[in-house]
Amino acid sequence: MTSTHRITRAAHLESLNDFREFIKKQCARVPDINEEFLYDVQLAVDEACTNIMTHGYADLNPGSIILDLEIDPDELTVTLTDFGHSFEPSHTPIPDVDAPIEERALGGFGLFFILQSVDAMDYRVTEDGNKMILTKYLRKQLKENNEDRSET
Amino acid sequence: MLKHFRVKPQPEQVVPDLGAISLSLLERDATLPFTIRQLNNLPENVKQRLYRGLIPPTLLTRFAIDPIHWINTNKEPRVFLKADSNSGKVLITARNSSDSSDEFFALELADNSLNGIELNLIVLNDPASLRYSIDETEDGQPTMFGTLNRNLKAEEQAFHAGLAPGQVRAGLGVSRMVFEQIDTFLSMLGHRAYFLEPLTYASAWVFERRGFAYVRGHKLMDDIHHEFQPGGALYQCLDDGSPFRKREQAHTVRGRAWAIHDGILEALNVRWDKIRMVKQIGRNAGVETFPQAEY
Repeated sequence: MTSTHRITRAAHLESLNDFREFIKKQCARVPDINEEFLYDVQLAVDEACTNIMTHGYADLNPGSIILDLEIDPDELTVTLTDFGHSFEPSHTPIPDVDAPIEERALGGFGLFFILQSVDAMDYRVTEDGNKMILTKYLRKQLKENNEDRSET
Repeated sequence: MLKHFRVKPQPEQVVPDLGAISLSLLERDATLPFTIRQLNNLPENVKQRLYRGLIPPTLLTRFAIDPIHWINTNKEPRVFLKADSNSGKVLITARNSSDSSDEFFALELADNSLNGIELNLIVLNDPASLRYSIDETEDGQPTMFGTLNRNLKAEEQAFHAGLAPGQVRAGLGVSRMVFEQIDTFLSMLGHRAYFLEPLTYASAWVFERRGFAYVRGHKLMDDIHHEFQPGGALYQCLDDGSPFRKREQAHTVRGRAWAIHDGILEALNVRWDKIRMVKQIGRNAGVETFPQAEY
């Protein structure tokens, strides 16, 4: 069975904690979600929202970020909707994390962290807002959990 | 549509403006949105049939107006449609007498530049309630609901009568029903959202309760709420400096709205403009910038 939850907050940094707590509260109802899974989702949402706040609503009177959380037996999906400038993720360079530290560019790690934390990311510009859709598979985690148990 | 709103080079599918809707167009992908202009280019009877869906029938029957013929029991027209060919706007008004000041319903929708929909105007007045002339100066000049000029005497009377700024009469209390009707109508056209600019703080609060989110101004609404708390910059401005700046106004939506209408946002170096809201069809954003508010 799929459960859906929604929270809307202003696009400013004080809202990040509300989003984190909201995700934590909803995930607490799902026994199969462990702390690592939760941390990954919170990190991805943190980074995505920070991007919206600093780039999406740059030079604008900030509007809303709508967070839709959908949990079904196979996956958890977060859809973040905003009404600021859109962006094209495929045009955003991924930082070279293997480069020597003195050669690495400052910043630009937001999208990298998101991609590291979730299994799929989609981005759409629609009539009802810019939508970033982050998906993390629960089945994969369940399989890993079962493997962990079998080893102990 | 949206200032500063940049879209990807290939936005979602939108219908090219083909003039009017043809049967062949109707037979195509039912998810493609139609524009108001396309509807307006239809024959008059077809337009009336479609735009009938913008007014809740129970609202008309409450005033003894036939919801199909748009006439009263004396067969006088009481609902008026302005939907000119080649125009991207539609205005529907309804009144319960021949006097245009007895208008109890007015709704204007318009296309915007991204094939989205703007709600330009919505009026839901109780025609039986006392009218306050906040919309014109004492010498008869329009005030644009107090945004261009102000009729301070009428505004003070309206304030004490419990109205919000911009209101000439008490509301009808039917906004939930009307917004549900707009959602239904726009989903029929294939739209996923529509946009508006709230005239006042009070109307923004009402739109929040009807499910709107903010395109612009959510943080400002949060800031306003914060600064109306005891010790806040707006709270301190409620110093009896004008009839619209009493300390107790901090605790109500209408009180805050009148103080903001009176220019109190100068304390934050901002003005009540560029606030823009969006309603996703069939969805409630759940925004509440003034928690547990008293209206």
